[in-house]
Amino acid sequence: MKYIGKSVPRVDALEKVTGRAVYASDMTLPGQAYMKMLLAHRPHAIVKSVDTSAAESLPGVIAVLTSKDVPANEFGYYTYDQPVLCGPCAKPYADRVRYVGDRVAAVVAETEETARQAVDLIAVEYEDLPVVSDVEEALKPDAPVLHPDVGSNQFGHHFLENGDLAEGFRQADVIVEADYNTPAQEHAYLQTEAGLAYIDEDGRVAVITTGQWIAKDRKQMAHALGLPEDRVRVIYPMTGGAFGGREDISVQIIVALGALKLHERGIHRPVKVVWTREESILAHCKRHPFRVHARWGATRAGKIVAAEVKMLADGGAYKFTTSIVTSNSVLNSLGPYEIPNVRVDAYDVYTNNVPRGAFRGFGGPQGVYIAEQQVNKLADALGMDPIELRMRNLAGEGSLQTTGAPYPPGVTIREVTEQCALGAGWELFRDGTGWNRKAGYGETDQAQSHKRRGIGVACAHKNVGFSFGYPESCTVGIELYGGREIERVVIRHGASEVGMGTHTAITQMAAEALDIPMEQVELISSDTAEVEDAGSVSASRMTFFIGNAIKEGAEIALQKWRDEDRPVKITHTYWPHKTTPPDPVTGQCDPNVAYAYTTQAAEVVVDLETGLVEVEKIICAIDVGKAINPQQVVGQIEGGLIQSVGYAVLENFVEKDGRVLTANLSTYLVPTIADIPEKIDTIVMEIPDPRGPWGVRGLGEVMNMCLAAAVAAAVHSATGVWFDDFPLIPERVLRGLGKLNGRTP
Amino acid sequence: MSNHKINVTVNGEVEVVEVPANMTLLRMLREKLALTGTKNGCSAGECGACTVILNGEPVNSCMVLAVECDGASVMTIEGLSKDGQLHALQQAVIDQGAVQCGFCTPGVLMSAYALLQRNAKPTDEEIREALVGNLCRCTGYNRIVEAVKQAADQPETVAA
Repeated sequence: MKYIGKSVPRVDALEKVTGRAVYASDMTLPGQAYMKMLLAHRPHAIVKSVDTSAAESLPGVIAVLTSKDVPANEFGYYTYDQPVLCGPCAKPYADRVRYVGDRVAAVVAETEETARQAVDLIAVEYEDLPVVSDVEEALKPDAPVLHPDVGSNQFGHHFLENGDLAEGFRQADVIVEADYNTPAQEHAYLQTEAGLAYIDEDGRVAVITTGQWIAKDRKQMAHALGLPEDRVRVIYPMTGGAFGGREDISVQIIVALGALKLHERGIHRPVKVVWTREESILAHCKRHPFRVHARWGATRAGKIVAAEVKMLADGGAYKFTTSIVTSNSVLNSLGPYEIPNVRVDAYDVYTNNVPRGAFRGFGGPQGVYIAEQQVNKLADALGMDPIELRMRNLAGEGSLQTTGAPYPPGVTIREVTEQCALGAGWELFRDGTGWNRKAGYGETDQAQSHKRRGIGVACAHKNVGFSFGYPESCTVGIELYGGREIERVVIRHGASEVGMGTHTAITQMAAEALDIPMEQVELISSDTAEVEDAGSVSASRMTFFIGNAIKEGAEIALQKWRDEDRPVKITHTYWPHKTTPPDPVTGQCDPNVAYAYTTQAAEVVVDLETGLVEVEKIICAIDVGKAINPQQVVGQIEGGLIQSVGYAVLENFVEKDGRVLTANLSTYLVPTIADIPEKIDTIVMEIPDPRGPWGVRGLGEVMNMCLAAAVAAAVHSATGVWFDDFPLIPERVLRGLGKLNGRTP
Repeated sequence: MSNHKINVTVNGEVEVVEVPANMTLLRMLREKLALTGTKNGCSAGECGACTVILNGEPVNSCMVLAVECDGASVMTIEGLSKDGQLHALQQAVIDQGAVQCGFCTPGVLMSAYALLQRNAKPTDEEIREALVGNLCRCTGYNRIVEAVKQAADQPETVAA
């Protein structure tokens, strides 16, 4: 292949290293006014009244927006359950704030400073309501109900039943059972949310913003603004990281409302807003914390015969993407194993915490933590090597998923596990022992006797594309210009460049499919006025989906070119394998289009005196199917692994009674360059996915799936203690070692 | 808020700028001089995205008042390449795949530039120490370390 498989420089690299790359927060338009939003800063209350008179009379203030200004005061990814601006209005219960980041009003002013001052002058009368911030408390009959129209704080139940669980446990020789708590996680993308709204040349309200899916943003904006979708335009320039945290609406609706309100009053001025870091952390969603009870059984021969999991997902104040996150967690809580008898129940629960939503892995890392802790504990209980136990249970080609349907073709978790094991010092003994690693468990550091070393392993699959019967598709526009030869290609697409290199991958794939130099491929990107719906840059789907759309579309376009069409202009939609929703009785289904697979080993050093866990080395095997750009693939894997190191041992998002105690980057710590392992061995495997373009599998999330469990197993091998809650910050580790009393927040 | 007229050399050009007393260097660069390559990630000196070189030293420009820069010399990402020639660090970041979303990149490049100015052959440890104030959420940092090492081995500028 000429362009695929080559580590060409990113198409956006030159702009980014020279400071010329433009992000929404960098953009200005002539005459723009500035917006500042009033966040509730209280977790649960009824907004009795909003007095804006003092704010409005401040010199330089152009407009103040409240609930009464919103045509349809509701939005949300799957369910419109969040007010755009909380306060009295026609929509029942939209007068409530349910978390600290809810928005109550917005000011448009000549300067950002004036807008900020005016926000402080808005007088809101609140009637505080009881706060519920714990999932179990929220499910009690006398708990305050966040959404009276729903009637209960439980807003979803997801389940899966297969086989005969009681019979499975009867066959089991060992059973392990535990309660787990997984933590929230903040995305901490470097660019905070931003929007610049204006009325465009065709009279549409347009917003240049940060996001992951232009079409989904537009749909929610149009609904809330009371406009047809074709009167709303969404544009993404470069976006400074996303990781799922931009899947949902942030500033888009309110800033557009600001521009519309001014326009209605004959003031034709754009409106710009940029969230501060604190606003970003308070208002946008977090990774779901899960509270879990798991009980698994295995025979002495090392066959897992029963798995029972009960999960409570803290959804926070609004639904966001919770239900699908939880469904995905149901699947992942059983791992990529063949387990004949399973039962999983998972509940979505509203609390007054910051809403939970998409975060790289989408419920996977939580589910995987459960599955892999259980498997590692079973190995321990059986006295069996953890790789060997996995090899006796992992799915293979033709295996059935725990949901009852066959795996999508191209199951490679066994090959991936083998490569990771070999890379991490395991050997396969042909004497009947199977896989084993002779050394590395619980060794004392030679130089420092208060430090212990350990190694742990975990594995996972990650779905590619939206799951459970979602009507997946991806549309691109392909245009060929020239005379005798194709001189220029235009690809119209909606793939938001949030950092993963999608523009580069699209350029490489288009060049390959059309057999034309990359320099002749031009992209028209992420503008609803210019492109069709490519779907979201999430669920590890874009390279896989848009690659198929480009590959199929290129054949059609080239045929038209051969038929002398000049120029050729087509749009083409890729329709993947249809998945199915969970059966209403058993939860069984054919959930996913495809999977990517990973197995990871972590080597840690635990300081027994301070409780500090250092991840020294990661060995990560991932089957990417085909690396479009090998250098970018390795870079993305490394970045995801470091986020996972943060998730495992460092990142501690603390909320107390619905208030956030870690609302900046000096209290919410993400890994710095000083916190990274000394060595990351990335083993990139390329076993083609039969459904992927050129064999590609999805890559964006798979590296994030299982490191926390590998680290927990490593800490166990170093200390003999199983940690069922994380992150493994020093305080928690010391408590686990019996050196501190009390509970870790 | 009182306004002050200051003289500041930015990327070699003398600028006369009128700034309010409470305006940060970061805001002055972005809003008064339209140098938006310098990014704002936190306004609190926590993320390093706004790093620039002030009188030869890397600083978080969100933590410096513009009025403090009267008579000072400032270098931003826009001043790193000269006459269309990329600086060796910029080329190295491209070559090593050390840029993803790119929002931290200008700040990282400024910190790395300051490092190489005072230490032409830094060790891995010295590179990590110099970049510890620059958060990156995408790359995992390894590529960045490799890029600084590549640049340290090369003449200062390479052809763009």
